[in-house]
Order: sequence, then structure tokens, then C-alpha cells
Amino acid sequence: MSSPEPQQQKSQKQIDTEFTSYYLQRATQEFGEALDAVRSADDFKPDSSIAVLISALQQGTEMFSAEDKRAVICSEGSAKSSSSSSSK
Amino acid sequence: MGKRFSYGGDAAGAPRKRAKVVHEAPTSEEIHASRQLRQLLIFDQDPARSRHGLQSLKLFLDELLGADGGIRSERAKILRDYLDSEKPAEDEENPVYLPDIMQTWSHAGQTKNDNIMSAVPVVLALLLRLLSQSLETVPIGLGICRTLLAKRQQELISSSLMAEKNKSFIISPTLRLLREAVSFDGGAIARPLFRARANMLKSLARNMGIVYTGEDKEDIKRPSARTNAIQFFLAAIKYLHPEAKKELLSQRDIVSALTRDVKQDPPYLLKELLTGLRNHIIMDDKVPREAKSNLLNTSTLVRLSALYQYRLDSPAEDESSIADMAHDLLLTVCTNPACGVLRQDAGFYPREIDPNTTIPTAELDDLGLEAVVWMNKFKTEVPIRNFTLSNFLPNLRPWSSVKQSELITSIFKVAPELVANYFLNNKTFTFEPKLSATWIGYAAFLFNTVILPIPENLCRGPGVPELPPPTSIVLDNILPLPLNQKALARCLEHKSNMVKFFATRILVVAIEKLDAAIKIYQDPSHNNKSVWNEAARRLVDEFCQRAPGIRNMITACQKIPTEDLLHREAASRLLRLCYEVLPQATLSAKLDVSTHLDAVLGRISNQQLEDPRDFALGLKELESLLAIAGYSPGMRWFGASKGTTLSPFTQLLKICVEAPKGVSLKTMQQVLNFVAVEQQLVPGHAGHPGLLPLIEALQSSAKYASQVWPFLDNCFTQCASKSVKYVEMLQEIAQETAESAGQNIDEPLVSPIILAIRDQLPHASKNGGEEVLKALGRILPSLLGLSVTVGESRLILSTIFSKMVSDLPDPKGKLAKAGVPEGLEFQHNTWSASKSRSSKSEKSTASTRDVVTLETTIDQETLEGMLHIPDSLEAENSALMKWANKTADELVDEGYATSLIALLASEHASIRKEALVSILKVADKIKQSEYEEKEQVWLLLSELAETAKDNINNGPLPSTIVAFASHALHIVRDPLHGLYPKVNVFLTRGPYWSLDKLPLVDEILAEEPNVGDAFYTQISWLLTYLIDGLRLSSDLELYHKKRTRGPIFERVLALASNPYLRLPLRTQVLRLLYRASGIEGGSTTLTTRFSVMNWLEERRSACTDSSEAAVYDGLRKRIWETCDQQKVTEWSKNGLP
Repeated sequence: MSSPEPQQQKSQKQIDTEFTSYYLQRATQEFGEALDAVRSADDFKPDSSIAVLISALQQGTEMFSAEDKRAVICSEGSAKSSSSSSSK
Repeated sequence: MGKRFSYGGDAAGAPRKRAKVVHEAPTSEEIHASRQLRQLLIFDQDPARSRHGLQSLKLFLDELLGADGGIRSERAKILRDYLDSEKPAEDEENPVYLPDIMQTWSHAGQTKNDNIMSAVPVVLALLLRLLSQSLETVPIGLGICRTLLAKRQQELISSSLMAEKNKSFIISPTLRLLREAVSFDGGAIARPLFRARANMLKSLARNMGIVYTGEDKEDIKRPSARTNAIQFFLAAIKYLHPEAKKELLSQRDIVSALTRDVKQDPPYLLKELLTGLRNHIIMDDKVPREAKSNLLNTSTLVRLSALYQYRLDSPAEDESSIADMAHDLLLTVCTNPACGVLRQDAGFYPREIDPNTTIPTAELDDLGLEAVVWMNKFKTEVPIRNFTLSNFLPNLRPWSSVKQSELITSIFKVAPELVANYFLNNKTFTFEPKLSATWIGYAAFLFNTVILPIPENLCRGPGVPELPPPTSIVLDNILPLPLNQKALARCLEHKSNMVKFFATRILVVAIEKLDAAIKIYQDPSHNNKSVWNEAARRLVDEFCQRAPGIRNMITACQKIPTEDLLHREAASRLLRLCYEVLPQATLSAKLDVSTHLDAVLGRISNQQLEDPRDFALGLKELESLLAIAGYSPGMRWFGASKGTTLSPFTQLLKICVEAPKGVSLKTMQQVLNFVAVEQQLVPGHAGHPGLLPLIEALQSSAKYASQVWPFLDNCFTQCASKSVKYVEMLQEIAQETAESAGQNIDEPLVSPIILAIRDQLPHASKNGGEEVLKALGRILPSLLGLSVTVGESRLILSTIFSKMVSDLPDPKGKLAKAGVPEGLEFQHNTWSASKSRSSKSEKSTASTRDVVTLETTIDQETLEGMLHIPDSLEAENSALMKWANKTADELVDEGYATSLIALLASEHASIRKEALVSILKVADKIKQSEYEEKEQVWLLLSELAETAKDNINNGPLPSTIVAFASHALHIVRDPLHGLYPKVNVFLTRGPYWSLDKLPLVDEILAEEPNVGDAFYTQISWLLTYLIDGLRLSSDLELYHKKRTRGPIFERVLALASNPYLRLPLRTQVLRLLYRASGIEGGSTTLTTRFSVMNWLEERRSACTDSSEAAVYDGLRKRIWETCDQQKVTEWSKNGLP
């Protein structure tokens, strides 16, 4: 297994991608029930509504500055914790 | 079954059926020699033989086109030889190529032989395609093309194009022939062909409408007439010169037909169409703008946008879908001004107005924003420049498609004038919350609209305009119309957390945008500063009216589950923004920030968040709450609340000490140090790093730190509550040290918290037993050592340490012997003496800089704009007549009663008397009405009349009484008002009021507010009434008169020293002083009786904001200019100015 990349050296693009994925993960965790309800709503169309939902959820990342995103993604131990949780 | 009913009795009335065209298949033979070919194609009047020849040629050409080598192949020699033999003589005046075929064609035209009319263009198109394969054969091809331009051929082509709609078998090959001709040899004959457009483009629009009508997909090998027509059009625009394109696009029928049936076109045709339009018209710089505008009208845009729903294609993974291609094209077309659709707008300024209109200064001074006639004009309609886009946008469905949402917001970004216009024109779609895909899509669209940047200088122009834009338009850009108070409040109250979350996020970005707008309004470079300031106030007021109340936000925030970190972060950020950007709106807030903070601190400090990313997100929430705590006078930093063991301060410190590496703690350390300095735990000495030595000492002994939190918590509380005790203790120890060391200690510098620790050490074992003392034995030497490092007094610290040692477990006397360690360095935190020195010098340069900027004083005109409040009690005698026909509601709510009350301060006795009578009548009318609060209103008016009655002939009623009555009227009609109980208690106290006293001043300034945290709301009301009540010299006397609790001025000046008083209230105090300075003797009294000059000087030096400091300077200057300068100079013994 390759060694984890040093957190501070990540490019802003990487940080953005990781932050977006973290944000979406948290949002689906926090609003899972509501998202299920939306999926069963009358106006839900599988081909277009999913894209709308994802886009709507992840647009909140725009409220965070580049430094905020870096602070969340690069807080030491995030790699450690994800590896430890995967080892569990 | 019955027979079908017949409508027409005779054949003429029956619907005509289209005659079915029957094609008989022609015969053919294989070609072996050019001679044979010539024989076959020679003109013959027998149509069967002509068809035989043409069909044989067609099959031969098909074979050659499909073969390797094409026209260069061996077998093609037969054709080449035939063409050479058919070539006209070089010296011929009007050379005709392929004379036999042309004659056959012409004959078919005369005899109306449809089969040959179809067969000839078929072979000619194939032939041209084949001939274009080799340079050698190009001249022959060109010859054929020129032959086509001859009069007879033009007529044949024209009549073929005009054939009946059901004769696609003639129309399509003719269009194919034209396509081959126009693109032959790089468009060599495109120009003459276009000149012959009367024939060559005959019925093009009609033919574009002959669509494929079968049930299956259109076969690529048998394209419809529409497909052929579009392909001919695209070939033409590829090779035509710009002027010709302009001419072509000016034909509305063609432009309209081009996209009319676009929804059912085959995917390959659409790709060609979208690419062709993009490359040869839209992105062609040589095509004039108006030509592009002709093509890209609203209906074209709407039809192209229908392709968002196009589902006939199945693109490969690396291929764009038709919907994507249409989206890209629309994005380009609508956002690039060179494409002819987008017009330059003026941002937030609508089409009809000139933001640089010159309005006379006097008019602006008198009327403020009202002098700008168009300021309130655009609430229902916004004139715009981008008509095409404005008409196009309502056809899009941003709530159901991410791409359509992106298209609209991209258009809004380049044409901000359309935002307000769009929402005004689309009022039907509301934001009423519903957990559905449509609502979420709409919320996302609105979020994207709100987050759009503010146009540069508000007008998208280079300079800042003279006048602010219409408030309604700016507001519609910050909180678009669907985001009204009702809808947003319902979102915040919705049972689904996700709905609340979406509404919260929108509000966050909206307030951030409002803040950005206010900053532009307050830019110092504006010429009409007072007008801009008034506009900023109005913007904030109107925003508050459209946004939900702070109470809704607080309630929504309180209900968020603890584990919903994203939601909590957004909600706490929203509250923080309210406190920072809308301080007035938060005056009525009842937010117990301590409880929130406790919960968050508890969650974070107890390490409940396992994922460090969650921890970092939790810190963001904490940061917001800390900021709110900073604004909240009710914040209890020390003393643990119910259910917790540590105070918020200690918990915060604990988080800082225990936080994982890499987490940014800067904000929290700043807050800790701010509170520590405020509460005198550490010296506020410049260069002293505050709590840093303690944090470092705890981090260095991390193992032991966990033992000492309850003890430290107790020390912090003691130190904060008994600061004087520890200052005195320091003096004593300093003296003791000085005596024993035999040297003088001038400025003893030791953090009071160290003294508190020393003081509490004997009780330490109560907070955890011996373990605590053992831990302290490790921590305290580091703390004292580090304190020495940062510059605290070593001698005194040694004395303190020697006293501490007696309480610490030190059986072998090691601690006592070692003393305070020397030369300790910071390992976990950054601090250096040089840094502290440089920060000191930075500070001093900064302060010099500040002085420089502060010295640029504001002029008196600006000062007036900021501090002058128009006289609200100015007599308007017409009020005596106006009230008569009004209902009780109108009398109270629309200000008729207030206008009458104001007349009691009139200088004319007759007016006062008439007003008194009217007030009594009004009181009576209200009492007999159904008005809900009629009793209270009647009581107020009756007491006022009773008070005025005996003094009506003695001159105007004191303005204070009149102002009180006017403002109290607003309170008695609203039982939810925070002052309602106090006003009622006052009214029931007696039937008339003392003219000498100012009602309610004591009740508000000295008593607890009746309702929660409403102190500042009440102060705001009081200051407004005090300002209105100060108009004449006689009023002034009431303000400086000696009273039991001190003169009014003195109490108001003291009030402004409250560090928690926010800027709007501080400004109100200054407005009161400004009002006094306008009254004769006011400034002199303020200076000699209340030392207002010193007070202003002090306030100025304490404030950090340069613009606020400038106001203090300005007011100081104003008071000096309006006072009796000789008297003041004498009084100050030449100390002033």
C-alpha cells in the first residue's frame, strides 16, 4: 500500500474534491430520511431528479472558503481515522 | 355496429384524399464502355428509355462512389472518357455540360414527368460528389455547376423545389444537388448561386417543414426533405460570404423553419445543425451582430431549449448528448455579447434611469432619498435592455434540470438587470416548502441566484454612480421575491430538517451578500454620502422586512439534532451573521448563547467526534457561537451551567489544549485571550501573550493536565470575580519581594491568574485530592518559568513560587531547591521575544497610521447626514382637519392621532387649543369603537389632554411630553411590545403627568427589563423619544436639570460607555448630542456641565474603527463651533479647543 500523501501538500483541487465528497457524505447521513421521502415523491424522475438532488446538496460547499476546506480535510488524523475505521 | 355517419351528401363535400404516388421501378444495365454510356444517355423522347439510361448511370456512380479509388479507379475511366467526350467546345459562349442529360431534364420539365425530374438531380448530385474527389475532374464539375446556373436549369430547379409537398422524391434530390453544388470546390460557385436565390432558395422554408412522418426513426439513408433542406442550408452558410449570410438570416420564414421541428430531428442532423450554427454564424466574427440577432430570437432560443428534453439519441460515453450540445450552445449564445443576444446592461440600475443625474444639493439635504424620483418606482415592473433573454427565461424549468438552472444563473451573472425582472414576471411559482424534488430544485436555483456576485460598482461601469440604485431591485437580487418572510419562516418551521437546512443556507448567503452591498454603499468615495447612507439603512430595513425574524432563526437553530454537524454549522453561522450585519434585528433576540456554547463545548471537549473532519466542522460551529457570545452581554463565561462541571471558558481552554494537531485554533485562542484580558486574568499589556504560557504549560504536561481542570476552573472564577483582591495581593507581594531583595520594583508584572492559583492552592485537594497537587507540582513550575520567558517579573514569581511550594507535595525538597526554571522555551506554540517586540512596533506603526487616517476629518455636511434627525414634532396644522373622517384604526395606525399630539407643541395657543379639543374627541371616538386596544389608547390620550389642559395658555407643551406621548401610542397598540407593561404601569399611576419629568427614563435605565433580554430594544426606544423631545431651549433645561439619579445628559453619556452597546445605539447617543448642539446654549452647556469634549475625546481614543473615530472628531468640532467659545475657553483655562 502506498504511503498516504502529506496532507499539507494537497492541491486546492484535491482539497475541493475531498471536501465535496465529505460534505455529500455528511449531508446524506444527516438528511437520509428526508432524501428517502423525496425519492418517493410524485415528481421524482429517476433520470433527472437525482442530478438535481446531488447538485442541490453539494452547492453548500460554496459557503466554505478555501482555508476552511483545507482546515477540515487536513485536520491531522483524518487519513488515520479512515484507515483505522476501515481496519475495523 | 352502425354505419359511420356521413357529413357530406355529395362527392364535392367529401374530404379530398391525397393521390398516392406510384413509382414504377426503372430498368437498367451494367456499364462497360464510355460509348455505351453515351448511347444510354442520349436524349430520347421515350421516358422509359431515358429512365433506363439515368438509372444505369446512377448504379454506375453508386458503384464508383463505393469503390476504392473512386473517380481515380480504372473503371472510372469509362466515366472520365464519357465526360471528356461530352465537354463543350472551349470557345462556346454559353457552354452546356452534359447536354443530353440537360435536354432530358428539360423535356421532363415540359412533359411533367416526375420520375425523370427526380432521376436527373439524383445522378447529378452523385456525379458532383464523385468529381469532387480529384483535382483533375474538378473543372468538369465546375462546368456542370455553372450549367446548373443557366436560366433553363434554374427554372427546372425552382419548379422541383416548388413541387407538391408529397413529392419529396423530387424535392430531396434537388436539395441534395444544390448542397453538392454550393460546396463544390470549396464553395466556388456559392456566390453566383446565392445571386440566383430567387430560384435556388425557392420554397426553402416550406421544404424545411416537410418532416419525416413515419413511426420509426428517420432512416439515415433516406433522409426527409427537411433533413436535406437543413443540410443544404448548413452547406450554404459554410461557404457564403458574411453579407449573404446576413441576407439569408433576414428571411424570417427560413429562420423560423430552421428550428421549428427541431424536437423530432434525427440526432445526426441536430449535431450538424448545432455545430454548423455555432461555427458559421454564432462564432463567426464577420457576421454582423444584427444578423445573429435575427437568427437568435426568442423563439429560436425556446426551441433550442426544448432539446434539454431530447431523448432520441444514445451517445457513447465519450460523446456529448444532444441535450449537452444544446446547453453549451445556449450558454455561449446567451452569455457572450458577440453572439447578438446579450446586451450590455447597467447592473442594478434599470433601463430608463441615469444614475448620474444631478440633483441639487439643497433638495438632497431636504428630502434625502425622496429627492430621487425613481427610487421607489420599480417595485412592480423593471424596464430592461435584454428583451430577448427576458422573454426566453420563463420558458426554462430550473427546478427540474441542473443545466437549465445553470443557464439561467449564468445569464443572471452577465445581465444582472434580469434577476428582479425574472422574479417579477414569474410570480406563480412560490417557495412554499414541500419535501419534493421540485422544491429542492427550486431552492437550489434560488441559492445559485443569491450567491451571484454584486455587479461591479453596482452598475457594471467603471465609476461609482452618483446615486444609489432603487432599493427594491437590490433587494430582489439579495433575496429574490419568492424568498419572502412568510415562505422562509414556514421553511424554518418545517418538520423536515432538510427543508430548514436549505432555507438556512440561502439566508446565510443572502446576509453575506447584503453585507457586501452595504460595504459598497458605505464606500467613502461617494459624493452624496448622506443619500448613500440613507439608502443603506433603507436596504437593511427592507431586508429585515422580507427575511424571517431572528426568533424564527433561533427556534430553528435550537431544534437541530446534536449530531447534525452541517446543519448546526450553517445555523450558527446564520445567527452570527445576524449579529454582525443586522445588529438592530438582534436586539429583540432571546438567544441564550451560554447554553448553546455549553452543549458544543461539551461535545467537542469530550471527544465525541471521532472523525477529525467532524471535529474541524464542529470547531466552525464553535467559532460562530464564540463570535455571538462576544456580541452578547448576557454571556456567562465563568461558572458552570446545569449538567456541566466546567465553565465555558475552561472548556474552551481545554479544547485548545487537547485539540489534535493541524486544527486551526487561532480564533479560539483570540477569544480566550480577549475574555482573559477583559476579566483581568492576564495583563492587557501590549506584547504579553496572554494565556499562552498556561496553554503551553498544560500541553507540555498533557498527562497531568486532565487532573487539574476543576481546580483551574475554580481559580478562573475566583480571579474574574475578585480582580481587585489579586491586584492588591500583587502589590503586597511586590513590596515584600522588594524589601527582601533590597531593590525597588517599579512596575510589577505578573498574571493575576498566577496569584489566584497561589491563593487557591491550599484548597486544591478539594478538587480531586492528592492527584491534583501532584499534577500541579508538574505544571506550575513550567507555567512560572514560561511566564518569566514572556517577560513577567522573575523576582515576584520566585516569591510566589516559594509560597506555592509549601502547598505542593515536595517531600525531598526538589521543587523548592530548583525554584522557577530558567530559559524555558515554547515547544507547542509559537512565541518569541522578537516577535512580541515586532508586534509591538507593528502596533505602533498601525496606530500612527490610524492617527493619520483618523485625522482626515469628515466634513460638517457628512456629519449632518449621519447625525441630523428631522424634527418629527414640526407642526402641520392641516392635521386638525384630516382626522375627522378617519376610523379608529386609521387614527392610531396611520399617524393621524400622532400628528394631532405634535400640535400641542405648537407656538400658537389657538392651534394648541384646537388640537386639545380634537385629541379629546379622538379619544372618545376610539373608546366607542371596536378598536382592540381602545382602552389603553383612550387612557393615554386622556392623560395627555389632562396634562395639557391646565398649561394650554402658558406656551407649548414640553417637547419631551409630546414626544413621549407619540412614541407611547405605538406601544399601547401592541401588547407584544417589550415596553407594554411599563407604559401601562406608568399610565395607571395617575391622571396627569409632571411636565418637569421625563416619563419612563428611570424605569428603562435603572430597572430590569420586563421581558428577557429586551434591554437594548428599550434603550433604542428611549433614545428615539429623547431625541424627538429635545427641540427648544426650554427642553434643554429638562435634560441638564439636576435629578436624584443625575441629569439626563449625564446618564445618557454614561450609557454610551457600556462596551456592549452596539454601533446603532452609540450613534443614537451622538444624534442626541448633535440635536443639543443645534439649540442655543446647548453646546456650551454640554461642554461646561458635562465635559462632553473630554467624553468625545475618550470615546474616540477607545474606538478602533477609523470611520467612527472621524464622527467623534466631527462632532467635537461641531460642538466647538456652536458653543460660546470665549466662555468655554475661560472655563477650560485655555485647555480647549
